[in-house]
Amino acid sequence: MTIRARLGHWKEQGAISPEQHVYLASLCRGEPFSVFLELNVLLYAGVLAFVVGLGWTVSTWSQQLGDVLILGILSTILGTCFWYCFSRAPAASLAETPAPTAVFDYVLYLGSLVWCVELAYLEKRFHVLSGQWDLYLFATSVFFFFLAYRFDNRFVLSLALSSLAGWFGLTISHWPSHPDAAYRQYALLYCLLVGLGGTLLQRHGLKPHFFGTYLNVVANVLFWALLSGVFNHHGYEVWFLALLLACGAALAWGLTRQQFVFVAYSAVYGYVGLSSILIRGIDDESVALGYFVITAVAMLVALVQIARRFGRPA
Amino acid sequence: MRLYAASSEESLRARELLADWANEGFLTKGQYERLEQETVSELRTTNIFLRLILFLFTLISVAAAAALFLRVILARPSEQTTGIFFLIFAAVCYGATEVAVSQAHLYRYGIEEALAVCSVGFFCAGMQAVLFSGRPYSPRPDAFQFIVPAAGGIFSLWIWHRFGLWYAFLAAMVFALFLPGYWTSSHTVQHVFVALLYAIGLICVTVIRSRYHFDYIEDDYSPVEAFLWLGIYLTINLQLSSLNMRAHWWDNGTTGASEFGRSFYWTTWVLIWCLPPVVLARGIRQKDRFVIAVGAILAILTLISNKPYLGWPRHTWDPMLMGILLTGFALFIQRWLARGPGGIRGGFTAARLSGKDKQWMNAGSAVLGLITPQSITPSPQTRSAEFRFGGGASGGGGASGDF
Repeated sequence: MTIRARLGHWKEQGAISPEQHVYLASLCRGEPFSVFLELNVLLYAGVLAFVVGLGWTVSTWSQQLGDVLILGILSTILGTCFWYCFSRAPAASLAETPAPTAVFDYVLYLGSLVWCVELAYLEKRFHVLSGQWDLYLFATSVFFFFLAYRFDNRFVLSLALSSLAGWFGLTISHWPSHPDAAYRQYALLYCLLVGLGGTLLQRHGLKPHFFGTYLNVVANVLFWALLSGVFNHHGYEVWFLALLLACGAALAWGLTRQQFVFVAYSAVYGYVGLSSILIRGIDDESVALGYFVITAVAMLVALVQIARRFGRPA
Repeated sequence: MRLYAASSEESLRARELLADWANEGFLTKGQYERLEQETVSELRTTNIFLRLILFLFTLISVAAAAALFLRVILARPSEQTTGIFFLIFAAVCYGATEVAVSQAHLYRYGIEEALAVCSVGFFCAGMQAVLFSGRPYSPRPDAFQFIVPAAGGIFSLWIWHRFGLWYAFLAAMVFALFLPGYWTSSHTVQHVFVALLYAIGLICVTVIRSRYHFDYIEDDYSPVEAFLWLGIYLTINLQLSSLNMRAHWWDNGTTGASEFGRSFYWTTWVLIWCLPPVVLARGIRQKDRFVIAVGAILAILTLISNKPYLGWPRHTWDPMLMGILLTGFALFIQRWLARGPGGIRGGFTAARLSGKDKQWMNAGSAVLGLITPQSITPSPQTRSAEFRFGGGASGGGGASGDF
């Protein structure tokens, strides 16, 4: 029985009203057909392409165009974006607030990205802070947090979190090549700060819907940091213990809150960490393969049990 | 032929729609709870995240079991013996997939999907090892070797048809790419052959699809048609399908007409301009989200590859113009639709009607916000040795970009 036939049946039964039947049947036929997502993707791609071109043009033609012209153009774009946002935004609210216009979020995002381009240009040309990039990153992070909370924007919140990570010396591109102890400490400190901050803000009802973004960022950074410790040949025991605790916490959180991405983190990161320790002493290939067969099947059994009990489709 | 009962798949689809409508407030909670009881299906599904990790661990266990078997049971087997066992593994995996679906009623559960993928992989590896092992390397392969990708493609098509896994169809398209290389060294013929093969597939899909409207089968054919349109376009766009694309694009070069016949080169240039409007029109007419998305992607790719096609130099401000064009187009459409009666024109609206759109937006904005700084950073900032916190290639939205 197709969904349209079911709708007719439900209307006859009186389970849905005739008005609901008409509306839901039209939705099934794609009438109206929403292009909301497609238009938002186009807007995002447009803003990103524009800023890529802007950064590329500024970096290539800075000598020919001159500082005044470049800074004038960047400042004009920046000022226009923020004027638009501050003039159109509704009153500040602690709760989730919808964007006042369809392009509002993208104008704010454009302004934030242009801010980064202008700041980089200023420092590169005039050495205002004598190469103290960490101060720029910190100031940018604070500014982006303010914008994200003022205008309820997840794009800018993510920019703020990545700027803060940059301030901690945690750059995604540098991370795989420098998994040393110092980076690990900074990563843990970052997790602690962001995790605590996110929790406190959520507890106080300040944009509580942002909490998921905080948790996902913290979980991934934390697991990478702990795994890098587990991969050490010496002194890995503490990191392994911490990894197990983190996996347990992620699993418990994922199951109780029905957020299965945390179950996935727990399974994958935990399996990688455990395997790296158990496999490192094995020279016999057959034993190693046997290990993978047994543990992967064990994981499957456990995950099927979890899926049966908790894992309804999202 | 399809292993899942139509009624079961329809029930699952109805269940998903009910949940979406209840989230959007189109149904009351009481109505949802009552109607949900009538959409019970015997198929077992799971969450997308659990599906992914079940897929991953099934792959690990099957691959490790096969490797262990070959190592322990057969010490130093010949390539042909290994190939025979690969074919046996393929049969076992395929049988396990059938059992998992027919007996355990798994549906997009990860496990049966990984088993199906393994069966295709083992089948191709087995065919290659059994039929062509021990042959000396030749830059011009034996024409008969086409049988491996051909068999892989047919088997993938069967998996798609039997289990409805869209990526099996994609795999079949990838297998088809390798076919003409065994028969001809002419790049022109290779491009034409693959494009024709995809076009035939598209005609078949379009004809079959026209029999179904607004049901789960149409939903299944939608991404397949989109892939075929994309495949045809990528095959005929010589600037994108050139093998040494990196050198061509990054070194500001182009794939010239000399590599192909002059008339063929310019015919493809005309076609890459013709195809996007055709695909967009088809997507809009069918109200097919995937085909519309592919039409938009093709239009953007045509704009990007036009200059290299014509041999014109690219400029640093080209992305800016592209950004303005995309934003302007999106804004125009948004406002044009919003000005229609009830915010609807021609059956289209810019308003959000599904809770899934909001979920996608929330997840996408968080993830894209994190990765954007990487994409706009021209190059990482060089740092002095004592400079501990510098860099910021990720943070600061690329504020450490080198000017």
